[in-house]
Amino acid sequence: MAVLAAAAALAVAGCAGGSIAANTPASNGQSFVAGSPGTTVFKAGAGPLAPAVAGPVVGGGKLSLAAYRGHVVVLNFWGSWCTPCREEAPDLAKLASDFTASGVRFVGIDIRDSPPSAEAFTSDFRIGYPSLSDPGDNLALNFRSTVPPAGIPTTLVIARSGRITARVIGGVTYTGLKSLIQRAAAQPG
Amino acid sequence: MTETRTSPVSAPTPGDGSPGTGALSPLGITGWSRWGWRQLTSMRTALVLLFLLALGSVPGSLLPQQGIDPAAVQQYYTSHPALAPWLARLSLFNVFAAPWFAAIYLLLFVSLAGCVVPRAFRLARSARALPPPAPRNLGRLPQAARHQTALEPAAALAAATAVLRQHKFRLRTGDGWVSAEKGYRRELGNLLFHLALLALLGAVGLGGMFGYKANRLLVSGTSFANTVTALDEFHPGRLVSSADLQPFTIALNRFTASYVTSGPDRGQPSDFDAYLSYSAQPGSPVHRDDLRVNHPLNLDGVKVYLIGHGYAPVFKITDGTGKVVFNQPVPFIAVNTAGLTSEGVIKVPDARPYQLGFAGVFLPTAVDVGGTLESVFPAPIAPRVSLVSYKGNLGMDSGPPQSVYQLNTAGLTRLPVAPRPLAVGQSIKLPGGAGTLTFTGYRQWISLAITYDPGQVPALIAGLAALAGLLLSFFIRRRRMFVRAYAGPDGRTVLDVGGLARSDPAGGFEEEFAGLADALRAACAGSSTPTTTPQGERD
Repeated sequence: MAVLAAAAALAVAGCAGGSIAANTPASNGQSFVAGSPGTTVFKAGAGPLAPAVAGPVVGGGKLSLAAYRGHVVVLNFWGSWCTPCREEAPDLAKLASDFTASGVRFVGIDIRDSPPSAEAFTSDFRIGYPSLSDPGDNLALNFRSTVPPAGIPTTLVIARSGRITARVIGGVTYTGLKSLIQRAAAQPG
Repeated sequence: MTETRTSPVSAPTPGDGSPGTGALSPLGITGWSRWGWRQLTSMRTALVLLFLLALGSVPGSLLPQQGIDPAAVQQYYTSHPALAPWLARLSLFNVFAAPWFAAIYLLLFVSLAGCVVPRAFRLARSARALPPPAPRNLGRLPQAARHQTALEPAAALAAATAVLRQHKFRLRTGDGWVSAEKGYRRELGNLLFHLALLALLGAVGLGGMFGYKANRLLVSGTSFANTVTALDEFHPGRLVSSADLQPFTIALNRFTASYVTSGPDRGQPSDFDAYLSYSAQPGSPVHRDDLRVNHPLNLDGVKVYLIGHGYAPVFKITDGTGKVVFNQPVPFIAVNTAGLTSEGVIKVPDARPYQLGFAGVFLPTAVDVGGTLESVFPAPIAPRVSLVSYKGNLGMDSGPPQSVYQLNTAGLTRLPVAPRPLAVGQSIKLPGGAGTLTFTGYRQWISLAITYDPGQVPALIAGLAALAGLLLSFFIRRRRMFVRAYAGPDGRTVLDVGGLARSDPAGGFEEEFAGLADALRAACAGSSTPTTTPQGERD
């Protein structure tokens, strides 16, 4: 009996102790959550449906994600102030220009940014695709029941069916994202 | 044949093998671990650990904590550049997440559980137990009385049993005797206390597993949603995923801080009011709240506290190509409380032809004190900004994420700009056609601590239950009564009554015993001759 109780106590204590030493994102006054880098991949048809977000576009105009249904969509959460976002931006711009012809659509969601900075970023990195402006985080909130962006940058790959097939937390590389796009493109609509 | 027999026998002989090896030591591994377990689960160890836990949380209230006020930590780094990294290495800026704190907590948890669980079983057994058989010589008990009665022994015993039952004693009967015990609620109280203690530990663990803590700095006129990307700091419990966050949105409409304007407390804050609009989830109605210090906003069990404030000067920056590349408030962090002198940096990574960076101070009430500009009052009476300008590479296009409060000047060159404090509306024209910066105004910001602890209510209930149990166990005595009835030498029935109060340092059992003894005598009365004899006068 005593051994059992001790084992139970250890098990409970183990769980509780873990919370204290949990691997929280490094926070050194960066003022944003960088997230722990990693890629989550969903099986064909198993990923959650991406919410139909819509809103004003950086630089003017409006956009609805629903307009891209039937296309493979790459959704990138970014901010002009975020170092990994700036690092991945050239690769994203190149992927967008390489894959637009084959029907892949790129959409950015600009987080915690101001319009002049976001526009300067877009023209600086020659980003050819539109970005939804999300100053109050309402678009990010729409993804909470699917695959919430768990840090900046976060990139989602959405298949033609509208289902999310992959999530990358942290910066993407040309080859890494390319294989995820091709994987999504191979899935039936 | 003989050789095979001698080898096992020769092994334990002295000098064969070192005496220090654990397997051969007198206790053995099982013995040592049993000893260790007993030490760990002893009350003394638990008390030492509890004391250590209290001691360990002291730096948490003396030093700024990352999880509570990262801006203050940043400020500490600025003012103690040599000491701060060492404190950080010892996790003193994040005491409650420190490995050493976790070790103390874990050991305390194991120690308490290891002590409480077996004891709870013992108490449960004890609360159900029947009283022991009556001792042979009741006269040796602390309380004793003897009566004589004309009733037959069996009838006298039955009458005594009825009296004791009437007084709600738990009874056990035997051949010529009755044992009775009362006050089992003491054990129930004890049991309640121990179980509540376990529940308290569990509740704390629950909060740790399913709760989270987050921070967010919010400039007035802006809003944010409770989602990971919108948070400055996020410390989730082990079983919290980013999908579990309550989806509220909060907008800061206005923030006002009032300060004492005269007397010895001049400059001390008297009131902070953050006027918020919030909605509990997307699409639900928007409510308004005046958030004040220590009056948190409760949203779906999540508490939102106002924990800090400061100024965010607004800058408009035009780059060398004539394009507006920056126009937004920049939160500056206060480096002193008296005048709220605040420091901050501006990074313009998309300025062309050069990236631009600025580091500076915001002075809410700037006054020239002997040639240097100082802020003498925290309210924005004469706000000025003084900046140092840089151009070059901010280091933001690759490499690790940067702090928004620090400028990495490694790739930057300082621009030769005459240091002139800017009033609202004034500009700096950067040399070499690098651009123009205009100080267009200022806003205030607040920092919010967002905490969700589902273990809080269970912990409160468990704490109250523990208190109730403790009180029960303090105020209820366990006391036993024994009655023996037998035929005396003169043919009359002798009724021996004995009483014993367990754990009765305060006394008070004497009166109860006397009352009961009288009641027993009365029950067996008729032709009885009372000969109540106090303890010590017999034999």
